Amino acid sequence: MFKYYLMLSWLSVKRTPMLTALMVLAIGLGISVTMTVLTVNYLMGKDPIPEKSHQLFHVQLYTYGKDRSNPRSADGYPYQVTYQDAMNLSRSEIPNRKTRSLQTGYSVIPSSSDSSPFMETARAIDSDFFAMFKVPFIYGGAWESSVDTKAKQVVVLGKEINDRLFKGENSVGKQVNLNSNLYTVVGVIDDWQPAIHYYDLNNNHFGDTQQIFVPFSLLPVLELPSWGNNNGWKTETINTYQDKLNSEQMWNQFWVELESPQQKEKFQAWLEGYVEQQKQLGRFEHENAGGSLKDVVEWMDYNNVVSDDNTILVGLAFMFLAVCLINTIGLLLAKFLRRAPEVGVRRALGASQGEIFVQHLVDVGLIGLAGGTLGLLLGQLGLWGIKQLYANYHQLVYMDMTLVVLAILIAIGSSVVAGLYPAWKICRTNPSIYLKIQ
Amino acid sequence: MLQMNNIKKVFRTDLVETHALRDFSLQVEEGEFVAVTGPSGSGKTTFLNITGMLETFDGGTYMLDGQDVKGLNDKQRSRLRNEKIGFIFQSFNLIPDLNLFDNVDVPLRYRGFSSKERKQRIENALERVGLSARLKHLPSQLSGGQQQRVAIARALAGEPRFLLADEPTGNLDSLMARQVMQLLEEINQQGTTIIMVTHDSELARRAHRNIHIVDGQVSDYQDLQPVLEVAEA
Repeated sequence: MFKYYLMLSWLSVKRTPMLTALMVLAIGLGISVTMTVLTVNYLMGKDPIPEKSHQLFHVQLYTYGKDRSNPRSADGYPYQVTYQDAMNLSRSEIPNRKTRSLQTGYSVIPSSSDSSPFMETARAIDSDFFAMFKVPFIYGGAWESSVDTKAKQVVVLGKEINDRLFKGENSVGKQVNLNSNLYTVVGVIDDWQPAIHYYDLNNNHFGDTQQIFVPFSLLPVLELPSWGNNNGWKTETINTYQDKLNSEQMWNQFWVELESPQQKEKFQAWLEGYVEQQKQLGRFEHENAGGSLKDVVEWMDYNNVVSDDNTILVGLAFMFLAVCLINTIGLLLAKFLRRAPEVGVRRALGASQGEIFVQHLVDVGLIGLAGGTLGLLLGQLGLWGIKQLYANYHQLVYMDMTLVVLAILIAIGSSVVAGLYPAWKICRTNPSIYLKIQ
Repeated sequence: MLQMNNIKKVFRTDLVETHALRDFSLQVEEGEFVAVTGPSGSGKTTFLNITGMLETFDGGTYMLDGQDVKGLNDKQRSRLRNEKIGFIFQSFNLIPDLNLFDNVDVPLRYRGFSSKERKQRIENALERVGLSARLKHLPSQLSGGQQQRVAIARALAGEPRFLLADEPTGNLDSLMARQVMQLLEEINQQGTTIIMVTHDSELARRAHRNIHIVDGQVSDYQDLQPVLEVAEA
């Protein structure tokens, strides 16, 4: 019967093309707005590395003095760690992998005299970073782990900058001039663009990933500046780079990879031991002093990556969809009631109320499918608009297959809900009224 | 096989109650051809709608083929209607955007027949009314008489035991009306019971029995002649 109902729905579309087009347009508009907002919201909150997000932990230390806390975080912990803590944490042998991390930047001086120097953000990290965050390489790979302790001027380039400096060729072994220092290229990564920069939520969450990755061990050697947030709570005299390294300023991040809950427990205990040790050394004076581990999803929630504003926006988008559907209900009533005489005939020929009801719901489902398809096309237009307005969001403005399926399901589902009353109304119509006058 | 006892039907609005049928009793035997006459508003169509289970009733009993109709739910009534009753209407009531094949197919779809059986029944039914060559035509491409023959084919395709006809010749000229009437008589001779509402005394005279309804009650169904005289007057 479903095939028969589909055939009848198609005939119904042909019989009332304008009315049907209006309904498809109403649903399409509702779906496009909803899906545009939902896409951004969904990609913001989506687990960026589901296969191991529960194994990657961001480390926080409550390093504040007495009566100090981070007013922005839920538990008062600072978001970042000091350089000296990053150094100390990296000495733990418990994690499978670990990395210190800092957003820095360079003036890139191309070898070709006809190209001008340009500024580029960079990330100072340990060699484990690439394996931890599953960064794909096209040429070479990460530097040797010995470089993490014994600084060497090596660099991993992003595909984009490799295209720019080396025309996309394999540049491993070649040299790049950064801040007038020559770095040897050891690897080139593919186009790696996680929707969220979850590995550093202190700085811009969205936008392009860095194109230059250098060893963290170069910080004290080359005095690499911080191009990210620097949070201080203590009055300190910082005149030299060494002063900064020794200070209580928090400007580094620290990540560990822990494969099992037991390993996590072990590292957590180690962390508590470290805090106690630091207390004895006169640091970590706060009564809440401690260490905290948050996996990727927890870390994103903790940083309110999907803000309340976004959630409100999703609510508003669904309200707009509801308005579109209310209009559709009116149009459906008009469409169905025009067909009441035919329904009368069908009832006389043996159709039950249930069969008439289902036939009309199939009718609505078909309209919903068309509306959903139109909504997807209009949604692409909306996402394109966002891309034009907010360049940083360009990683968030595409619909993956999940969203496409979701859009169609929402369109059909909401249309069927909207069609319940009109379908119920028409199936309850007394057929005898129409049989005499048709 | 069709028995109504003291059927009551009242149409109510906020202001007025209209007794469409009052203590209406009737028995129709298998194979009969019954004509139902009466003035406008007398309750003929209400009677036909209740007979076809398109309307419920407020009192009395109605047995169709030994089954008490009153206790049935919508699904059961629809099933019974689909299996046992065929309808023919004054204005044919064909579905305009379905071709003849698909129009005749409508009751068979709800019956749940296989595609092969439906095809066979549709072709037989249309052949029976002389329209087997026009399967793909739309109703609008046919004359009024032909449309009514399609409606008859649609009513017959499911092989119902009853055919309920509401003014089946009302929209036809006299020649076409005679042809349709002739077809109904043939169908009746083949065993289908027919109940036909009509204003046409000539057609009523051709039925086995005539029931005259006045004010929602059977005026006289024993003696045909006085009824026809009243109708002609």
